[in-house]
Amino acid sequence: MIRNYIKIAFRNLKKNKVYSFINIFGLALGLAVTMIIGLWIVDEFNYNDHFESKDQIAQVMQNQTINGSVETNEGLPLALEFQLRDHFGDAFESIVMSSRPDERYLSLKDKVISSSGRFMQVDAPDLLELDMLEGTRKGLKETNAILLSETTAQTLFGSESPLGKSIVSDNEHTMVVTGIYKDIYKNNSFNGMHFIMPFKHWMSTRWGWLENQDSNWSYNPFFIYVKFSENADLAAVNARIVNLKKDNLPVGDVFNSQLFLFPMADWYLHSNFENGKQVGGRIENVWLFGIIGLFVLLLASINFMNLSTARSEKRALEVGIRKSIGSTRRQLIYQFLSESFLVVLVAFILAIGLVLVSLPAFNTIAGKDVIFPWSSSLFWMVSLGFIGFTALVSGSYPALYLSSFKPIKVLKGTFKMGKFAALPRKVLVVTQFTVSIALIIGTLIVKDQIDYSKNRPVGINSAQLIQLPTSSQDFSGKYDLIRNAFLSSGSVAKMGWGTSPATSIWNYSSGFEWDGKPVDFNESFAQMAISFDYIDAVGMKIIEGRSFSRDFATDSNAVVLNKTAVDYMGIKNPVGKYIRGTAAGPNDVPMQIVGVVEDVINESAYEPVSPQMYQFGHGTGGFYYLRLNPNQATSKSLASVEKIFKTNFPNLPFSYDFVDEEYAQTFAAEERIASLAKVFTLLAILISCLGLFGLASFMAEQRKKEIGVRKVLGATVTNLWLLLSKDFILLIAISICIAAPLAYYFMSDWIEKFFYRTDISIGVFLIAGLGALLLTVITVSFQAIKAAIANPVKSLRTE
Amino acid sequence: MLLELNNIFKWVNQGGNRVFLLKDLNLEVEEGEFISIMGPSGSGKSTLLNVIGMLDGFQEGEYKFLDESVHAMKEKNRSKLYKEYIGFVFQAYHLIDELTVYENIETPLLYKNIKSAERKALVADMLDRFNIVGKKDLFPAQLSGGQQQLVGIARALVAKPKLILADEPTGNLNSNQGEEIMQLFKELNQEGVTIIQATHSETNAAYGSRTLHLLDGRRDHK
Repeated sequence: MIRNYIKIAFRNLKKNKVYSFINIFGLALGLAVTMIIGLWIVDEFNYNDHFESKDQIAQVMQNQTINGSVETNEGLPLALEFQLRDHFGDAFESIVMSSRPDERYLSLKDKVISSSGRFMQVDAPDLLELDMLEGTRKGLKETNAILLSETTAQTLFGSESPLGKSIVSDNEHTMVVTGIYKDIYKNNSFNGMHFIMPFKHWMSTRWGWLENQDSNWSYNPFFIYVKFSENADLAAVNARIVNLKKDNLPVGDVFNSQLFLFPMADWYLHSNFENGKQVGGRIENVWLFGIIGLFVLLLASINFMNLSTARSEKRALEVGIRKSIGSTRRQLIYQFLSESFLVVLVAFILAIGLVLVSLPAFNTIAGKDVIFPWSSSLFWMVSLGFIGFTALVSGSYPALYLSSFKPIKVLKGTFKMGKFAALPRKVLVVTQFTVSIALIIGTLIVKDQIDYSKNRPVGINSAQLIQLPTSSQDFSGKYDLIRNAFLSSGSVAKMGWGTSPATSIWNYSSGFEWDGKPVDFNESFAQMAISFDYIDAVGMKIIEGRSFSRDFATDSNAVVLNKTAVDYMGIKNPVGKYIRGTAAGPNDVPMQIVGVVEDVINESAYEPVSPQMYQFGHGTGGFYYLRLNPNQATSKSLASVEKIFKTNFPNLPFSYDFVDEEYAQTFAAEERIASLAKVFTLLAILISCLGLFGLASFMAEQRKKEIGVRKVLGATVTNLWLLLSKDFILLIAISICIAAPLAYYFMSDWIEKFFYRTDISIGVFLIAGLGALLLTVITVSFQAIKAAIANPVKSLRTE
Repeated sequence: MLLELNNIFKWVNQGGNRVFLLKDLNLEVEEGEFISIMGPSGSGKSTLLNVIGMLDGFQEGEYKFLDESVHAMKEKNRSKLYKEYIGFVFQAYHLIDELTVYENIETPLLYKNIKSAERKALVADMLDRFNIVGKKDLFPAQLSGGQQQLVGIARALVAKPKLILADEPTGNLNSNQGEEIMQLFKELNQEGVTIIQATHSETNAAYGSRTLHLLDGRRDHK
């Protein structure tokens, strides 16, 4: 019996190839999209999940109140470590001080690579649960030790075992390799960390003056990771440490620093803080895509049900015959259900194929390493549940409704589906297009917002501007020399130096006084040190005063402010006035304001510009900025720059970035979201149109006789085309009316979170609406015209 | 007595008026009879066949089939009864397009839960008997009208019914094909199968052992 059903099901599929294709392919597409989104979501949730003691790991952070708003930072003072170790040893299994991720040149004989890693304390390998391939997790004990990732070890040493061998860091420090660890997974907060050197080493080379100042609370560049004891309660530990910094600051704490433990479970998905409160983060994207995935699945299922039920009406006759030759109703119900189960199963298998084929591309767009969960029982259970559910829902209409017919009714050919049957189908089509149109509107607005932010004036001229990292000690004292070499080559038009990327903030500073400073004003400035020529080289605009100049010896203690800083400080006619540091340190010499520059984006293109202070810099580190000669081919200029670089720094690799490309990187996260949303929206539209196409062909066939009669009575092709299309167009018009306000509501909410945002334009709605209408007309017309130009004699004879 | 209809009334309501399809109809059928029902279009021939075949109900009267009261039965038992004893032959053949000749004939046996080996034997008998062995793997669309009707009859007969109900079985066929089909019915009847056919044709009606005339839903005794 079952074989008979399956045979019929297959022959039905084969007979109606177009319909079968639309039905199965549409469902498979929807399933594939949902599977991929599902896999992505699971992957997001599994971030850091492989840490065995993930529930015990946390990072210490602080909330500081600056002028009424709370800012959350991960940088902490050195003294905190000693406090934690001395007084809270019972709460923590281990405490690990760490630097932020940093770049270093690692060299072995002639081989030099630039590698990213951290400086961490002895317990780091244990806390990070490093998978040691060679050596042990105790490898950071000696100050000159270094742990390498598998990749780094292979790049430097090839197949040779590196254990116990020496390499040179930044051309200066000889380090002994004490361990090799397996590369850290992509879905691990520490991924991309290719070396670990001892924290002690970093302290002695970078923060020498801070060493042995166990009670210095003023410098906050250190990260602290902890693993708290198994029986410790996070909330209780939090309560104990919250005022640790505030209570220990010798001069009192104007920022009201509140310490807290940020648990590892929240690092990835819940890492946004607003006014000291956790306000989500990547989890919002997870929800967004989760909803899109569900919608796409809904669209595909609607299609499938719509088409299946529409088709099943053609099978009323078969039901009649089967009943008259002895089929019971129950047997018919089984038949239709097993048929729809079979079709859903085929679609599911096809969907798996689609997922396998598209996963690599998806991984590239999403920056993931998602693999197909062949061995996940959860996946198979959910899939099985879905197959059963879809088959049941799409099969139940024909199974229950058609099987109830009196056979003589359908056998006599007088059987016609009532108006009743068309209504649910119309509702489903409207639902489908409402979702599709809303997705189109949403995608367009996201794109608008990104374009708008991209077009925001950056404040520098980044055409043919490159930046060269200069963190190595080799650069110290060489600036003027190499600047002359570059400029005289003719390949470089202008050159400057700065401590951070032109459009980022690497350092905030506070503790300043100036005349007219309001009482209780807790200032915080973005800070950057620059050379004489920096402002000119990167193309910043001076509004008042002047840039640093070699002509003024006093400029070594001068400062240039951005426009926002001037407004922020509330000084009129700033040029010539002084800013003084309040505490002992690098800022205690009064600095004269020599100029004011136009704002340069320093937070992000979506955020307001922070008040920024450009001080004159003597040191090294940071970047060289080179404006290549605009009258010469870029490749030629680069080759010449590389040659000069190599002559001056034979031991360092030549690496550079275009500033505009670096800046474009800051849009990467949003663009990734936008391109994913675009892909899924296109698929949603495709699925909806497939459904519409199938439904239109079905409607045209159902009204074949009517069309024939009308044609005999003199209707033109245009009349008939209008007759068949207008129902659908009305449905789409209704969808637009529902989708537009819905999308407006959600998207205005979304766009609110950007400080620098575009207005939602009416054009977006027009494009989405007209686009949907046009697509509908094209999709439906194909069938309508086909039916309208058919020979009426033929269609009438079939009755 | 195979079946007995007593004072059957069947009507539909059209715009407040009761329109009678069958009116006070009485009929007794003995096993082995070959009855032709004649009458103009709309006289109730098909309705009567459908009532006898239990595909359609009626409002008043009694229907006994093999001494069982059909009108008092539940739908389930009724379909069991006709599945067991009645075969249908339609004017438009009504074969299932997606099934081959063989599979079409086999289907009623599937519904009767007959074992595979026995099914094969029964279907093979039918194919043999109607000389369509060579066509068993063809689909209905590949056959002529006469051949399709042969398959239709084979399908009606395969489950060995006591009664065949044929609603204008030759209506869609040319006269040669029609004659063949009628000849076949005659043979079947001689083998003991009871046949009731509805027809417009005097010639076809003459194959029967008696003829029933209908007019406006009642027997026309003229």
